[in-house]
Amino acid sequence: MAQQSDTAGLDADANSSQGPFGRWASKAIQNPKRVYRAMFYVVTAFFLFTTLFPFYWLLVLAVTPNEAITSFGFPPVPHGFNPGAFITIFETVPLHIYVLNSFVLGLATTAIVLVIASLAGYVFGRLDFPGRRPLMLLILAVSYFPPAAFLLPLFQLFTGNVDIGLFGVAVSSPNLYNTPIPMVMPFTALFMPLSIFILTTFYGQIPDGLEDAARIEGTTRLGALFRVIMPLSAPGVATAGVLTFISVYNEFFFSFLMNDGQVASKLTQFFASQNNWAPLVQGILAYQGQYSQMYNLMAAASIVGVLPVAVLVVIAQEKIVSGLTAGALKE
Amino acid sequence: MATEQSSDDFERESRRSGPYVRAVRWMENLGDAAFAYLLLAPALLILGVIAFWPLVRTFELSLHADQLVGTGTVGEYVGLTNYVELLTGQRSALLVRPLIPTVTWSDQFPFFHGIQNPFTAALTVTFIFTIVSVLVETVIGFGQALVLDQDFRGRRWVRVAIILPWAVPIVIQGMIFFLLFQPNIGFLVDPLQNLGVFSATPLSNSVDSLLILVVADVWKTSAFMALLILAGLQSIDRNLYDVARVTGASKWQQFKMITLPLVLPTVLVAMLFRTIGALRIFGLIETVTSCSTVPSLSCLVVSAFSSRQYGTAAAVAFITAGIIAVAVSVYIAKFADTQGGGV
Repeated sequence: MAQQSDTAGLDADANSSQGPFGRWASKAIQNPKRVYRAMFYVVTAFFLFTTLFPFYWLLVLAVTPNEAITSFGFPPVPHGFNPGAFITIFETVPLHIYVLNSFVLGLATTAIVLVIASLAGYVFGRLDFPGRRPLMLLILAVSYFPPAAFLLPLFQLFTGNVDIGLFGVAVSSPNLYNTPIPMVMPFTALFMPLSIFILTTFYGQIPDGLEDAARIEGTTRLGALFRVIMPLSAPGVATAGVLTFISVYNEFFFSFLMNDGQVASKLTQFFASQNNWAPLVQGILAYQGQYSQMYNLMAAASIVGVLPVAVLVVIAQEKIVSGLTAGALKE
Repeated sequence: MATEQSSDDFERESRRSGPYVRAVRWMENLGDAAFAYLLLAPALLILGVIAFWPLVRTFELSLHADQLVGTGTVGEYVGLTNYVELLTGQRSALLVRPLIPTVTWSDQFPFFHGIQNPFTAALTVTFIFTIVSVLVETVIGFGQALVLDQDFRGRRWVRVAIILPWAVPIVIQGMIFFLLFQPNIGFLVDPLQNLGVFSATPLSNSVDSLLILVVADVWKTSAFMALLILAGLQSIDRNLYDVARVTGASKWQQFKMITLPLVLPTVLVAMLFRTIGALRIFGLIETVTSCSTVPSLSCLVVSAFSSRQYGTAAAVAFITAGIIAVAVSVYIAKFADTQGGGV
């Protein structure tokens, strides 16, 4: 790939102007580093263009009045200017509540994952016991299975259609549809393994002496984990937290199927509503469904939906990079 | 009362901390193995309820007939009938109705003209999507990793730009590509149609949609590939390049003789990760084409589930899980050992 676009870039240079290129070429022969430098900039520009262009297209659509959205040329430029779409989206669909729901689901999942994954990470990172390896592989395997393979039983479980034997009495599972639980629990199970791997690496690096010292001072084993090891591994914990939150904000499958798409219509009702927990997925799809020809609204809503994670990526890019590579490869 | 407060407090304190102290003492005295299992219990419990039990239960459901009337619970035990009928195409009438309004995919995939079975179609479409998108992602991701491996001004922002699509929610990724390929508004559709690549309405055409889905998937996930490969690149001993330079190797030779062989295991692991991800594809397809023109395996599960064909849905889900299990076991057998360290 890199090689192809490089030669394409050089050809274009050759065609555009012979004189400067000739000079450039003679210098390049004396100093091949210049060629690599040029190739590098061409390739970088290509990647920047391909990754950022779709966002630019969203912006063009969002600020163009809907009736003017037709036959864009290349490069597309806005036809007119109507930033009102960014207000209309909140009037037609309570997008802010969908985003808020996603935030609450994301934070709840992150909190649960960090506690459970800390315990497991401590075990895998610092203890040696029979069955360590098979157990870790088992946990790893889970995160790979398709959500579709869990859907039916979980749906039945969370809609009150599974009988559970308790002390010899068959009890129906509670109907939790439209509550956060049928989303938070699958999210936790799916995204916990990555956090376990990240935390295993970090907790495993803390010198034994520090834990021993804390134990001599009189802390329990769990006290040492939460008071000494976790704080010392703060960067790792932050990495796991950021990745879990982004994963939940990204998730589609259970966010789409484990609720009926409804949210509270006003912010004040958010605190009163117990059964309207549809996340961002449903908010965006609401524009596609109800306002199917309002392309400017779809684009504006997408931009608003992307902003929180875009900010998170800018702030926490180091953690994201280290987390993804560590979680996937170090183990 | 007031005079006795201090001794009362002491009493209450010791009574309250009684069970706690005993629990701590019990925990402290556990052997390492028992303590390990105790701490793993929450993780294993949630995985058991959310993953292992559903997997077993899905298999159980797949052995039961669909029951389309009444409460929508499963019908009687029918053994492997669901699997047999899926594989031999006898479920086509059942599956096509909710899934594909008009059976156009076999017309639009001339190379699969004989396929009349929606299950075979879903399997084929999923495999084509997986193979093509993983290969393209590997090439693009490798390129991005080579860029990110360089030291240059503004590197931080280039890295943000490259990983940004990875963080975009699937539903918005789908929305972006839905909007890019709308007829009449697109600057992309008209030229591509003039070139004869696309039809006028690419999102209602199976071949075009499949191509769009591959591009959308590559746009979002090649960053993931790039980060994994970057980690591989940065673990290569820089001295090797110094030695190569001294012995007069060109940049291309350095790449071929040092970079490529040393980074290859990492690339293979990354490809396997993406293969597993691509085999599960659902959300993107649902958003871009409502699963109607490009039915993946997961689309088939959801559409059978939505029309309350629980037995059929379970059978497709279990087959999907089985296919992915093969990929996962390849990973565990081939690479987990060679990566050293923990697992």
